[in-house]
Amino acid sequence: MSTYQPQYRKVNVATSELEMRDAPKARPAQPKRSWAWLGVVPFFLFTFLFLLYPSSTIVTRSFRELGKGAFTIDNIITLFKTPYILNSYWISIKISLITAIGGALFGFLLAYAAIRGGLPTFVRVSLLTFCGVASNFAGVPLAFAFIALLSPAGMLINWIKLTGYNPYFHGFTLYTMTGLSLVYMYFQFPLMVLIIAPAIDGLRREWMEASQNLGANSAQYWRYVAFPILLPSLLGTTILLFGNAFGAIATAQALTGGSINLVTILIGSELSGDVLGNQGVGYALALGMVVIMALAITGYTVLQRRTERWLR
Amino acid sequence: MKSRGKVFAWFVIILGMLYFFLPLIATFVYSLHAKLGHLSFQAYTNVFHDPKFIRGFTGSLIWATLTIIFGILLFVPTAFWVRLKVPKARTAIEFITLIPFVVPVIVFTFGLVRTYSHPPLLIVDSPFLLVAAYTVISMPYMYRAIDIGLRAIDVRTLTEAAQSLGAGWGTILFRIIIPNIRVAILNGAFLSFAIVVGELVLARYLVKPAFAPYMMDLIQNRAYEPAALAIISFALTWACMGIISFIGRGGQAQVGGGH
Amino acid sequence: MRTNKIAFTVLSLILVASFVLSACATATTVAPVAPVVTEAPVVTEAPTKGSSVKDIPQELIDACKQEGMVTIIATPGWWANYQEIFDTFTNLTGVEINSLNENAGSAEELAAIEANKGNMGPQAPDIVDVGYAYGDSGKADGYYQPYKVSTWDKIPDTLLGLSAKDPEGYWTGGYYGVMALETNTAVVENPPTNWKDLLKEEYKGQVALSGDPRTSNQAIQSVFAAALANGGSLDNAQPGLDFFNQLNQAGNYVPVIAKPGTVAQGATPIVLAWDYLAFGDKDTFAGNPPLEITYPSPTIASMYVQAISAYAPHPNCAKVWMEVLHSDEGQLAWMKGYAHGVQQADLEARGVIPADVAAKLPASSAFSGAVAPTPDQLAAAKKVITEGWMTTVGVDLPTPVP
Repeated sequence: MSTYQPQYRKVNVATSELEMRDAPKARPAQPKRSWAWLGVVPFFLFTFLFLLYPSSTIVTRSFRELGKGAFTIDNIITLFKTPYILNSYWISIKISLITAIGGALFGFLLAYAAIRGGLPTFVRVSLLTFCGVASNFAGVPLAFAFIALLSPAGMLINWIKLTGYNPYFHGFTLYTMTGLSLVYMYFQFPLMVLIIAPAIDGLRREWMEASQNLGANSAQYWRYVAFPILLPSLLGTTILLFGNAFGAIATAQALTGGSINLVTILIGSELSGDVLGNQGVGYALALGMVVIMALAITGYTVLQRRTERWLR
Repeated sequence: MKSRGKVFAWFVIILGMLYFFLPLIATFVYSLHAKLGHLSFQAYTNVFHDPKFIRGFTGSLIWATLTIIFGILLFVPTAFWVRLKVPKARTAIEFITLIPFVVPVIVFTFGLVRTYSHPPLLIVDSPFLLVAAYTVISMPYMYRAIDIGLRAIDVRTLTEAAQSLGAGWGTILFRIIIPNIRVAILNGAFLSFAIVVGELVLARYLVKPAFAPYMMDLIQNRAYEPAALAIISFALTWACMGIISFIGRGGQAQVGGGH
Repeated sequence: MRTNKIAFTVLSLILVASFVLSACATATTVAPVAPVVTEAPVVTEAPTKGSSVKDIPQELIDACKQEGMVTIIATPGWWANYQEIFDTFTNLTGVEINSLNENAGSAEELAAIEANKGNMGPQAPDIVDVGYAYGDSGKADGYYQPYKVSTWDKIPDTLLGLSAKDPEGYWTGGYYGVMALETNTAVVENPPTNWKDLLKEEYKGQVALSGDPRTSNQAIQSVFAAALANGGSLDNAQPGLDFFNQLNQAGNYVPVIAKPGTVAQGATPIVLAWDYLAFGDKDTFAGNPPLEITYPSPTIASMYVQAISAYAPHPNCAKVWMEVLHSDEGQLAWMKGYAHGVQQADLEARGVIPADVAAKLPASSAFSGAVAPTPDQLAAAKKVITEGWMTTVGVDLPTPVP
């Protein structure tokens, strides 16, 4: 399997020689290399018209001075000079990493358990459909659901209080980074489940059986067969989870108000707050987010190419 | 070993279920308190009698369906073509599909409004613009789901087998590739559906009936109805997922080599 | 290899093209376009001197009917009883009210005007209701067109020490609110009545703001008001941050943004909010749960102003709208919504306030300690509060146990 590609080329040459001698060509002529690009033109055209061009204001307006419209790099400089802005990037990245990795881990476990865990079919179907709904249950309703559950007056806390123990008097609180991460998982787990499910489906049973036949135990199967196959998809989905958390705003704002310093909240305050903000800084902040995501994506692409190499 | 795996599987599922359902149960219990003194479904009645709710939810349903269809029509051929013929474009395309993540929706929305509210591109009022915008927003998920689905099947062999039997591109796409990545498309469809129903900013600024703006407006002013609405929307969306799942039923056929 | 280079070139061209095109587009639209000239008759100063909606000139109403729609933004019906104003307007003109984005902040409202310049469709707002600071700033940015309502002389020149209307008519003050304490008495038996009370042990984990202090006008002014009670002044908002730091250290502050749901559920039983919103909540809850509203002293008052968009697609309807707002009926509607209309003194002097409305209003002695900051003071306070919040009450400090 790992040498599939070169073999293919050799076969190609052999059959074409045969073809010239015997049967007429069964395959249509290969299109010229440069024409293949036409196939992706609709996509590029669509994204240019409806994504790239409208979003390019991120770049142009980052360099605009407040009120005067003149070109300036002051906004970008402000990003680097202001400690709480740098801190906000760090916190956003931190919480996105934590929820991406945590979400990927447990999400993968959930997906695998439902698909390959030997459970009845209804579990798989219900999980997938539920995850479809839960993956976008975010913002104020989600924050409120956790508040209704875990606030000092919340349902679960009330149940625990019946035993005489009040978690809030012993240091537990929902309103921290940990609490927020816990809430974020509500849309991270489902996202992971949904996207990794086809990849898990692609893990054919025969390979598990074949590796068992060759004497491998479960751990070895995972380490040498399943995990390497899944790694590109796992990485890709983790990046997706990272981006998902990185761009989240409503949930954090509803749950922890102004306590947690996230870039998205800062952007909101500059662009759409109730008291005069600096649009240029807001767009510059957004530009910073784009740069960070670009770096993350580049890192992921490099990793992905390496892990995919043996799959070709 | 199989039974130990099964126990572990059940453990994971039950843990997941607890995590997902407890907050919902807490919301539901709270929503029953709309009447002073005793539990009732008053909050639910209030929501169902609100014409804005019906308008908002059906609006979002329509947008979601259109977005899914359009996404399939645009992304499946593109992802397929990239895998098959133009692998060099992959980096660029993956980068583009992840851009919607990082552009704050409000920036994107203002950009859209500014661009398309002047002739000759005066389509700011057209429903197509909203569908296009929703497609863009769900692109990271939809495209990635489709890509992972394509990755799990051997596209090249399938295509060549089909071509050697005389199939044209349309047949290949719609009768071979799409059925084989059915699960992936379904999952992408789930995600797109949820995103569109939960999306707030675009619907607001492009002034089209949608569910999330209605929910937000309710949260600002009412105490119990938002909780009832959250439960209702959860249940209704789950039902819609069930319908989508039913429409796309039939497991992913293992045709052609995997890797 | 060739295709690789082509790929790279094409992608770069696309990206560069999009940036260049949008830069050109935005560069040419930096200068504000002259206000739209409408077909219908334009009235800038009404001739009659009556103050009821019946006195609004018929030509203006007819011109509005021709336009067929009015687009408002960030104006929910439940905000200070705006719904009654909606109904009054509809009864008067029969014209459709297109309500955009009920939750927008003032900055978003102006951004909506800007983004929809030249767009005659339903996305472009005709009239805005914004925080006081946005009156002058919106005028300076060219977003408004001037219009003096027929009751112009009845609007005081100054209110709370600030101009209640722009001398040239670009914006008009409509109503003001006073920062108050809203308490869910089903959870909190003994409602706090002043700032010092909030620090008491009994209110552990119960005191909340109604917004994010970095983005919400209401929350910022809550912190600002705390400053006044804590040794600060309208020029010094830092003590407000210190007060909230104290509150947080004591474990009394809960960082959840208070909404009616969280107040009723008990997660945020004590909230700092505008009095008209608090009283509105009280009516909405109707005892489920019971609410009590108290005014801490000193406290802050804040005026909301209305203006007609310079690019309004329906300027005559916008003018009728303004007339309604400043008619007796409009001002009374706001007063029924517990907001303090700018023409309240005039209405009182003429004795047109019904007894039942007057009875429901809080006595003005209760908030006699209210002061209003100027836009400059507010801008300075906002800077201090938004920048200091993260380091004073941010995640850099662990949130103590309530």
